[in-house]
Amino acid sequence: MNKDPHKELRDFQVLGRPIPKKDARLKASGHAEYADDITMPGMLHGKLLHSPHAHARIVSIDTSRAAALPGVRAVVTGSDFPNIKFGNLPQTRDYLPLAIDTVRYIGEEVAAVAAIDEDTAEEALDLLRVEYEPLPAVFDPEEAMKPGAPQLHGHAAGNISAHSAFHFGDVDAAFAKSDYVREDVFETQAVKQGMLEPHACVGLWDNAGKVTLWSCKMSPYVTWRQLSMGLGLQPGNVRVIQTFVGGGFSGGKQEAMPMDFCAVLLSKKTGRPVKFVHTMDEVLTIGHMRHPMKIWLRTGTTTDGKLLAQHCKLIANGGAYSSIGGFSMYLAGAMLNLPYRVPNIKYEAHRVYTNNGFCGALRGHTIPQFCFARDSQLELIAAELNLDPLEIRHCNALQPGDVTANGFRIGTFAFDECIERVAEISGWRGKRGKLPKYRGIGFGCGSHLSGARLMGHSASAAEIKVQEDGTIQLTTGSTDVGQGADTVLSMIAAEVLGIEVDDVGFTRVDSQTTPVDPGTFGSRVTFFTGHAVKRAAEDARAQLAEIAAQKMGADPKDLVFRGREIFNPKDERQRIKLKDVVRWGAFQQGKIVSGRGTYAAADEKIDFRTGEGNLSPAYNPSACAVEVEVDPETGRATVVGFWGADDSGTPLNPLGVKGQVLGATVMSIGHALYENLIRVDGQVMNPSFRDYKMPLATDLPKLADFQHSNVITWEPEGPFGAKEAGQGAGTGVLAALANAVYDATGVRLTRLPMTPENILFGLKRVQEQNSNRRP
Amino acid sequence: MSYLKRLPKFEYVSPQSLAEVCALIAGTSNEEVMLLAGGTDAILQMRRRERVPRRVIGLKGVADLEFVREQADGSLAIGAMTTLQTLLAAPVVSQRYDVLRETAAQIGGHELRNVATIGGNIAGALPCADLPPALMTLGARIKLSSQRGDRWVPLEDFFPEFGRTVAEDDELVAEISLPRPTSNSAGAYLKFHDRHSMDMTVVGVSAFVVRDDDGRTFRDLRLAYANGAPTVFRAKRAEAVLRGHALTEDGLEAVAETACAESNPRTSWRANGEYRLELIRVLTKRAIRRAWEKASSQKGTKS
Amino acid sequence: MNDLIPVSLRVNGVGYDVAIRPWRTLLEVLRETLAMTGTKRSCGEGQCGACTVLLDGKAVSSCLYLAVEAQGKDIQTIEGPVGGDPALEQIQSSFAAKGAVQCGFCTPGMVMITKDLLSHNPEPNEDEIRDALVGHLCRCTGYVQIVEAIQDAARGMQDAAGEMARKEGA
Repeated sequence: MNKDPHKELRDFQVLGRPIPKKDARLKASGHAEYADDITMPGMLHGKLLHSPHAHARIVSIDTSRAAALPGVRAVVTGSDFPNIKFGNLPQTRDYLPLAIDTVRYIGEEVAAVAAIDEDTAEEALDLLRVEYEPLPAVFDPEEAMKPGAPQLHGHAAGNISAHSAFHFGDVDAAFAKSDYVREDVFETQAVKQGMLEPHACVGLWDNAGKVTLWSCKMSPYVTWRQLSMGLGLQPGNVRVIQTFVGGGFSGGKQEAMPMDFCAVLLSKKTGRPVKFVHTMDEVLTIGHMRHPMKIWLRTGTTTDGKLLAQHCKLIANGGAYSSIGGFSMYLAGAMLNLPYRVPNIKYEAHRVYTNNGFCGALRGHTIPQFCFARDSQLELIAAELNLDPLEIRHCNALQPGDVTANGFRIGTFAFDECIERVAEISGWRGKRGKLPKYRGIGFGCGSHLSGARLMGHSASAAEIKVQEDGTIQLTTGSTDVGQGADTVLSMIAAEVLGIEVDDVGFTRVDSQTTPVDPGTFGSRVTFFTGHAVKRAAEDARAQLAEIAAQKMGADPKDLVFRGREIFNPKDERQRIKLKDVVRWGAFQQGKIVSGRGTYAAADEKIDFRTGEGNLSPAYNPSACAVEVEVDPETGRATVVGFWGADDSGTPLNPLGVKGQVLGATVMSIGHALYENLIRVDGQVMNPSFRDYKMPLATDLPKLADFQHSNVITWEPEGPFGAKEAGQGAGTGVLAALANAVYDATGVRLTRLPMTPENILFGLKRVQEQNSNRRP
Repeated sequence: MSYLKRLPKFEYVSPQSLAEVCALIAGTSNEEVMLLAGGTDAILQMRRRERVPRRVIGLKGVADLEFVREQADGSLAIGAMTTLQTLLAAPVVSQRYDVLRETAAQIGGHELRNVATIGGNIAGALPCADLPPALMTLGARIKLSSQRGDRWVPLEDFFPEFGRTVAEDDELVAEISLPRPTSNSAGAYLKFHDRHSMDMTVVGVSAFVVRDDDGRTFRDLRLAYANGAPTVFRAKRAEAVLRGHALTEDGLEAVAETACAESNPRTSWRANGEYRLELIRVLTKRAIRRAWEKASSQKGTKS
Repeated sequence: MNDLIPVSLRVNGVGYDVAIRPWRTLLEVLRETLAMTGTKRSCGEGQCGACTVLLDGKAVSSCLYLAVEAQGKDIQTIEGPVGGDPALEQIQSSFAAKGAVQCGFCTPGMVMITKDLLSHNPEPNEDEIRDALVGHLCRCTGYVQIVEAIQDAARGMQDAAGEMARKEGA
């Protein structure tokens, strides 16, 4: 099925057009209702009490003074819940709605109050008396692994939260055969999602014993299951209604949070809806962040730079709870297989519990950290072997049709073209080695997958209700979190049915009525849910074709759906408006047209313990070049140019794709240069957007120097040839920046973020070394 | 765990004249009464419960505190409630005291500058505040008003120790006076932070240069620093190094070294003291060079 | 103790007489008393721009402004005036067309600062646009499409102004 994507794009009716996001006008006029915008009659306001201790036993909690404060309606603590642990993976359920016996990090939630207004709720927090018995705490993962270190969880010896190990081929033999071997250590920092909308929810426990939660969840069904479990309720009695998501990037919006549990239980106790909204410093203090890592990478190559073996040992500072950590460790190691051919791979990863905020997924998950290490090292190897940095990547590039050591089956993968496209749009060859002093250009590559196979958990379904005016209502269990799912899924449906995007109503998730779905993460939605939508649209189309064929006396197989009409290209007289078909079918024949489709890709199994299996139906390569200017006297690096190219298959909505790839890029620039959640003895020092610094518009290159290009392929596994576009583009940026700083200054930074201070003192060392070298 | 709460309860009054303000603060302490200028710092202090006043005196309605007036003697009088935006848009400021415009333009973003005031930036006594160093090098004097009368204090004597000004609890910063600019003079303010905008200043340097009539030597040099020490300060020993001398690389080095010796930057989780010293060294030289060039170009002030 | 004080606020051309506590910020009164939730609550510190409204045509962070101090000022929020506002509509249309809206949480603030910018500087260059955005964080877009949207809105408003001038001249 080797389609020419360019021809397909030309022939598409709707797909491939830069269609504005369906909810953009609503959001731009201030009328989109986010969770904090919800008010209900009698609604109360909730606030959470957080632990001031990094590790402590909770001896007692006296809620009486808080409960007695006028305006306070109820108070809850951990023991008000059924003491059922829940979590993201069955083997690592260590979350509780509120801590009961032990707090394990500064910021962990301990109690909650509901009051008539926020001021009163805050005042009530000050009246809660918690008696703690502080316990010894440990903050560094290597310290935490040592014998005698304070143990955070009874079941986890050595504080090992998760462990992942695989070995493909024979690295020892391969190293022995390698002409060149080097090893390096890289370190990455704690980084937060940084979304503008803080976590927020409204909970209601009604008279009939049913629970409803309105919240900005990226994965409403994950929340639904976790909420049911932690409350000891049947999921059928719990309803999660997704509000507009003001940015997610995984983390708390991916799962059930203490605020969700407390909102619901406080509602039960008060008979009123209860709203919780985090302040931004709460968001920055609680868990949910990217895993800081120490990555040791040993690589063996031939003299031509061909990768023969890679051995990676990784320690991730997991923080106090597991979150999705087991999968996180698997994923980082799996990336050893992409985007380069590496025949021999050994991977050992430990996720370690420490008394810090816990870590989980965050755009790119554990992929960016690993790519930072691997692509920084690749440049070092190229330099030592006197190889061109692009050539070394070309000579190792995975090709379509490859099967990687761990069993990833590569479909489309235009990696070579991505590299060349970047070289071309960046002017790489004219710049590299020719830029003025303290100006440098660096290359970086990465990769991503289009949704992960998680057995049946990957499945998506779609339902299409066809309405008598020729419009449709599209319902899935996936969420638009700003990435444009609402629009691209509507475009897919519109394409199949020959209607316009504005004819499609997109439903937000309500666990009571929408199909079960894992939600938005892992770049799965356009691919997995897109397939389900396509199938549902095809199902509806088949039903409509039957009706139209009957009405027109045609063969349904001949009918074409285009321009809101159904017609037979072989006979001009056989042409009818889509809405007339619907009406005729409905009112004459009593036929209600509704399409259903599902997609799971559950056919293949992954063995997460050995690391073997084809994780995704499609993979994409990413390449980029970054140009920096470094002020040699202050160390400040300014990104003055960025050029990226990704093979995201066929871009179904180029406007949406552009927003995603550039957004991912800028997040990575922030991770590389500015962002660092600084913890000292478990205390977050900078829980504020003033001091947790994300890129601003003045930190980025001008439009003319900030370019992204789609390398267009037709991925047969993807819906209409598409692959992911939201996360891969950020994976090569960290290394590209490190390589650019090196090119500009000779300073090789292996630790993130690359602060001006680190660059400056690095420069001084380089200058010292250079002057020492002079005879 | 500290976090930003909703504002604490307070009584709010909005006087309409300076005299009213003085009457309201007479006999009060800073614990019970707070003056609210632009509010961009004060509101946050209250939300962090660093200050919990019983009464807040809003100054936004005090028209007699908002002015930018050239006086007959050529000096400039600026009302304490003048916003940063008004300051940087005032023609007299860019024509005669461009370093002030330059400094104000580097503070925060539009929203902040539309509301933050020159008085608030001074009275807050933050060592990282940007206007005080620039104003110090311009020879600013501060008028403190109270029911007991007015007094003038040179800005360089205004910050006796970290976080404090010499203002008594019953006094407020009412006016800033800048002397008539001398000929062949100009100032430059350079500040450093990681991002390209919005950040708290890690180190800021204001250099004010007066060139002699034939433009070859320094008739005067003034240097003041933000975040170089627990208070904003003038580096007087460093200033003396180049007075009467020409601008040379060695001279600049010597000034920078002396400025470093006079500084006392702290090490915090935000930045290391050692790094701040590097910045002081570099920015001192750059600011002097820039001010020197401005003093000879049209941006400088001719008599 | 009744700490409520009477306050008159003029928002989007309409007068509202409310009884509020003096320590309420403008953001809180807009959202909680007047139920105008278009202006967003985010960082609470004047760093993110989500709460930006215009006071007498100038952008301010409503989370750092006492509601009582906004009396006597013309307050403009994202909801816009009842009869519509061509400038606001142009900006909103450009933002949608250029892909400048993803999650949308920063968008109301971005639209308001754009209105401030274009009313004072109808033909801003790229540096001036980026400078206007420094009080605004966007985590989704990387700012590119926002800058493009503002350029598009500026062009649109210039075209509309030119059109009006021609009509008046005719």
